Amino acid sequence: MKVCKTAGRLMLAVLLAATLMCALAPAAYAAPAEAPAAVAASATVHADTASGAEGAAQEEAGNPLIPNLLEFIPMLIGFLLLLLILGKFGWPVILGMLDKRVTTIKESLESAENAKIEGERLLEEYRAQLADAKKQAAQIIADAKQSGEAIKADLATQAQSEAESIIAKARAATEAEKKAAIAGLQSSVADLSVLVAGRIIGQGLSEADHRKIIEHYLSEAGALDAS
Amino acid sequence: MPADRALTRKASAVYAEVLLEAAHAAGVAFEVSSQLEQAQAAIRGSIELRSALLDKNLPVEARMGIVNELFAGFAPVLLATLSVMVKRGDLGLLGRVSEAYLVRAEDALDASFIDVTTAIGLDDTLREKIKEKYAAQLGRDVLLREHLDPSIIGGIVLSAHGVSIDASVVSQLENARVVLSRSQ
Repeated sequence: MKVCKTAGRLMLAVLLAATLMCALAPAAYAAPAEAPAAVAASATVHADTASGAEGAAQEEAGNPLIPNLLEFIPMLIGFLLLLLILGKFGWPVILGMLDKRVTTIKESLESAENAKIEGERLLEEYRAQLADAKKQAAQIIADAKQSGEAIKADLATQAQSEAESIIAKARAATEAEKKAAIAGLQSSVADLSVLVAGRIIGQGLSEADHRKIIEHYLSEAGALDAS
Repeated sequence: MPADRALTRKASAVYAEVLLEAAHAAGVAFEVSSQLEQAQAAIRGSIELRSALLDKNLPVEARMGIVNELFAGFAPVLLATLSVMVKRGDLGLLGRVSEAYLVRAEDALDASFIDVTTAIGLDDTLREKIKEKYAAQLGRDVLLREHLDPSIIGGIVLSAHGVSIDASVVSQLENARVVLSRSQ
């Protein structure tokens, strides 16, 4: 509507301008010599009051504001025809173009508005996704830390129990070796003692001693029958 | 397998009976029992001797020569029996023959044979003491088969009918060694 109003005003202005041009043009072409004279006359009207009558007649013949009807009317008719034709064929086209331009501009504005809204929406969406991703990353890091701490604790416990097991086994092995060494030593001592005792006894026995021993064991010996 | 054992037992019995009959007739039944033990111990104690006497690739005469030379002091009836066993390849039955002979000899002589091992030789007093003690226990006369073994250091080892009494000094020392070894 605003565009139509503006176009109307523009057309009115053009019409007035055209009318004025039509009025001025014959006056300008009809008395070209009179113009300077009129100017000179107007310039000297105050200076020369003696030629007042000639001056009045000249003024009436060359007044640019009063149109010459013989020329004005055809021109007006022509102008009106032109106006009619323009109004019939040109005005719709111009209006159409203007409307189209208005529509285009409107659509562009709407499109830009929609794009802006979409962009803001996407921006918000991406911001939300980014925040969510940051949150998830923080959660993952926290979980990983927690898992790492748990694994660390498990490994430490396992290592400690293994170390204790190794120590216990080593102690048991040491103890066993110690006992075996003591047993071996005892056996060696016993063997040596018996060997020495046997040699001492064997060397120290006379025949009479042998016979006494035989008699002694014979008296203590049991029965030879199966019962 | 059972048939083989039966045949072996029967063969051993035959050898024992024949040997006993010959030895009893010669009046050396008791001595032969000791000599059988000695022969058995000698053959068992030497792998080379056993291999030579049991080697069928070796001529019989050679094997018989080894036996005659090795056991030269034995009773002739025993030497003859050993020669036959070598000839027939039955020297592996010597152990069974010895056991069978012992049982039959004890019955034939109506006496129990006791193996006595000492570090020194027995005198008559000790022999009588041993015979007296075990004749009463076994219910018949006792004949001693004496063995000298200085390794027992002292004391006496008696065995008869599968029962053994070890009253030697070395066994006493061995007991002491075991006790010392086990004590903590």
